[in-house]
Amino acid sequence: MRSVIRRHAILAVAGATFAVLLATSLPVAAQESVAVRAVITKGPIPLDDPNAAAWNSAPQAQFPMSPQVHWQNRIQEATVKDLKVRALNDGQSIAVLLEYADPTEDPADAAALEFMVGDKKAHFAHGQPMAQVEGGPVNIWFWRNKDGKGVDMSAKGFGTLKAQSHQDVTAKGIYANGTWKVVFSRAMTTEHPAEDMQLKPGEFINIAFAVWDGRKDAAGDLVEKGSQKAVSSWWYFRAEAPPDYSGYIYAALAIGLALAFQFVLIRKLKKGQSA
Amino acid sequence: MGALTKPFILLVVIYLLLKFVVPNIPGSAPLPSSLIFLYVMLALTGIVIYYTMSGESKDAFWGPIQRFLTGETKGALQTARYAVLILFPLLVGWQTYGSTAVSDAPPAENRTIHPAPPGEYTGLSNPVAKTPDNIMQGKGFYAAFCSPCHGGQFDGKGPAARGFNPPPANFSDPTTIAMLQESYLFWRIKKGGVGLPIEGMPWKSAMPRWEVELPDEWIWKIILGEYDGAHQSPRTWE
Repeated sequence: MRSVIRRHAILAVAGATFAVLLATSLPVAAQESVAVRAVITKGPIPLDDPNAAAWNSAPQAQFPMSPQVHWQNRIQEATVKDLKVRALNDGQSIAVLLEYADPTEDPADAAALEFMVGDKKAHFAHGQPMAQVEGGPVNIWFWRNKDGKGVDMSAKGFGTLKAQSHQDVTAKGIYANGTWKVVFSRAMTTEHPAEDMQLKPGEFINIAFAVWDGRKDAAGDLVEKGSQKAVSSWWYFRAEAPPDYSGYIYAALAIGLALAFQFVLIRKLKKGQSA
Repeated sequence: MGALTKPFILLVVIYLLLKFVVPNIPGSAPLPSSLIFLYVMLALTGIVIYYTMSGESKDAFWGPIQRFLTGETKGALQTARYAVLILFPLLVGWQTYGSTAVSDAPPAENRTIHPAPPGEYTGLSNPVAKTPDNIMQGKGFYAAFCSPCHGGQFDGKGPAARGFNPPPANFSDPTTIAMLQESYLFWRIKKGGVGLPIEGMPWKSAMPRWEVELPDEWIWKIILGEYDGAHQSPRTWE
C-alpha cells in the first residue's frame, strides 16, 4: 500500500513539475530597444569618463534617429542615424552615456537629452502646444563640444528654449575613431521640480534625443544647427531600483496558506466521514 | 463518479461553445478569456446550487468529490488527487507572484491609431475635382512635403521615417487611408500630430501641422494624389 502511494506521489510531483516548467518557459516577448535602463552601480559613477569599465555593466539600448522634419526649419538628411545609450545610477545620481558615429570632430558637434517635467505629457518637439491636450514643459540637457559642459535648459513650445538660472547638469564628450561618447549626469532629484525632471528608482519616464553634426558646408555655414538636427521621438528611461524580492515572499506565503487550507479541508472531510 | 460526469460535461460544453462557437456567429467576436472564465464560473455556481437543493442530490454530488479529496479512490484517480493537491498551492503561489511582483516592462501603450476627428472635420467632401491634372499636382506636393516620411512608394518607409515612434502611416496598407474618408485625411494633414485627441497620444507624433505652411487647396490635392498613388479609394457611406 505504501509503495503504491509513493508511486502515485512521484507521478504527481513529476506531473506538477512538468506543468510548472512548461508555464515558466513560455516565450517572453522579444524586447526591442524601447527603454534605457540605468542599472545600479556599486562603485562611483564615472561621470567624466565615457571609457570607464563601469559602463560595460549597463545594457546598451539603440535608437534610430530621423532628420528633424516635424517643424520649420527642416532638414532632409542628418549625419547621425543611430544612437547607442547606456546609463548608470547609484541611488543618488544618474549618468547617461550617448555613443554615435560622426566622421569628423567639429567645435559645433552637439547632443541633447530631453525629458518631460511633471505629470503632464509634453510633445517631443520642445513641448509645443497640442490642440486637445494640455501639455507640460520639457527639461533639456545640452552639450556642445566647444563649450565642454552640460547646460540645463527648459522649454514649453517653440521659441521658449532657455538655459535655467540653476545649472544641475554636467556633461563631457570624448571623440575617438569617428565616434563621439558623451556622458550626461545629474542628481536623480533636484530642488526645482517645476523645471527639472525628477527621477524615482523603478519608475519609467520619457526620454528623447537630439544630435547635431557641427560640420560646415563649402560656404562655411553650419549644415546642422538649431532645429536642423537628428531627433528621436519619446522612448522610456528608468533608474533601476534595488532588487525587490517581495513578490517571492508573497508567493511563498500564499502557497503556505493554500497548503494549510487543503490540510484543514481534507481533515474535516475525513472526520465528517468517520463520524 | 456518475453524478459528477454530467456537470463536468456541461462545463466543458459551455467552455467550448464560448471559445469556439460564439466567435463564429456572424457579427460576433472572440470573447476575452476573463469573460469566458466568468461565464464558466456562473455555470458552475448554477450547477452547485442545483445539486444542493435536495439532500439526496447533494450527497450524490459531493460524495465523489469528498472521496476523491480524502483519498478513498484508487488507481489513476489517486495520482490525479496528488496532482491536484500539489498543483493547487503552486497555482495560488503563481497567481500571487504575478499580481505582486514589480513589473520590469515599460508601461503598456494603448494608442488609438485613428481616433475620432472633431465634428467640423466629418463629412467634408473634397472641393477639388478629381481630374488627372489635380491628381498629378497632388502627387507633386506629396513628393515634396509627405514622401520624406510616408515614402515615395506610399508605404510609410521614407528616408526620414526610421527614428519616429509611432511610425508614419503606410498608405498602401488597406487598414489606413482605405478605411478613412477624405475629410478625415484633411483633418490629420491640416492639424498634424499635435491635433490628435489624448487617445492618439499627440505628444509622440512627428506629423507636421501643415495648416501653418500649406493652403487648404493643396491639402485636398495631396489627398487626391495619395489615394491614387497608393491605389486605394476613400471610404464612403454605403
